Amino acid sequence: MYLVADISVEICAAKSCKLCTQYCPEANTILYSDEMGKDKGFKYGSAYVAVDRCKGCAQCVWVCDNMAKNNAIKMIMIDQLPVAALTDNITYGEKSTTATLVSPVVG
Amino acid sequence: MSLDYVKFSSGFEKFMPKEYRDMVEHGPFGKKVSVSQMGSFKEVLEEHPMCAGCAMTLFIRLAMIAFPNPEDTITVGTAGCGRLAISQAAIPFVYGNYGDQNGVASGLSRGLRLRFGDKPKDVVVMAGDGGTADIGFQQVLHSWFRKERFTTIMLDNEVYGNTGGQESGMTNRGAVLKMAPLGKKFEKMDMLQMAKVAGCAYVATVVPNNPRRVESVIKKAVLIAREVGSTYIQAYTSCNIEYAIPTDKVMEDAKNVENDRYQFSEYITDEAKQFLTERYGYKEFLPKPAAPAPGLPKA
Repeated sequence: MYLVADISVEICAAKSCKLCTQYCPEANTILYSDEMGKDKGFKYGSAYVAVDRCKGCAQCVWVCDNMAKNNAIKMIMIDQLPVAALTDNITYGEKSTTATLVSPVVG
Repeated sequence: MSLDYVKFSSGFEKFMPKEYRDMVEHGPFGKKVSVSQMGSFKEVLEEHPMCAGCAMTLFIRLAMIAFPNPEDTITVGTAGCGRLAISQAAIPFVYGNYGDQNGVASGLSRGLRLRFGDKPKDVVVMAGDGGTADIGFQQVLHSWFRKERFTTIMLDNEVYGNTGGQESGMTNRGAVLKMAPLGKKFEKMDMLQMAKVAGCAYVATVVPNNPRRVESVIKKAVLIAREVGSTYIQAYTSCNIEYAIPTDKVMEDAKNVENDRYQFSEYITDEAKQFLTERYGYKEFLPKPAAPAPGLPKA
């Protein structure tokens, strides 16, 4: 098993700085969804990770902890995530994306 | 070299991979995207084999977003890590032999001008420090002396990262590397000064820990290269493998290096300033309004 980044919607949607989306070295890996936060009653949307693309470098963790001072991202073993976003289940919209969360581990 | 080249032939949509469909329908082609919208649109860069946490990848990702017209852009590269990512984008990529990327780009840029006339087609060279300052040095400098109208971007990781860690001309003095165990004995080459002497219209240094600055610098360089002359960007893109930087500390290292030897600098000729202001509506080069007259001294 290996580590991937996991973003806490509760913490992220309270501030929604989007810094991690700008600092991830992988394209379209940390995405942003309005629905993920607002639909649950939070003020803003939240960032989330397409775990099939995450290489586990943890740069987003440093950015979230030290630049944004938000501490919303943790590295977690992929089989410890009950549900996560995968590229196949992500739909792009005009200004945001939506993701159907599924179990990231096959079988 | 137009919006049509990314579109599907009719009837083939359903056979295309999801990533491709997303890119055609929600990619940056034909519209303006910016760094602040990252995470909300499909980027032209796809998955690639670069190392986890590589700052060069981040810079390339930002550069691809910053191109003013990605559908009218061709990238040129050479051997080195960068081409592993640059070639995985929906932007045509030409792979030069080691060191001749600026020669290839010169011909390409001239040919595009002959073929398309006034319609701007951008050529952007992205090569490593070895490809630009060592092995390709002669062709790089000559393309600048000839004032070839394209952008040269140096992805400066201060080492030959792809071949095991030999020192390059851009390695810092004293740096100890796997294949330079005694430490480098000479100073880091001053390519910025050379670019200015060779007549580049725009020269800038950036570090990828400021995405908005990277975007603005690349936009300016590509636009100026359309008509005014050569432009050069030198970007610090650390090699976390050869310099043994933990991947989660890559941005911290970038910040330290920025404070140490990679402070942001921008050199722009008056002609380029005038071009950006008149043609593309840039306001930052307009003369500052005169300061209000100081009030009478208080009695």
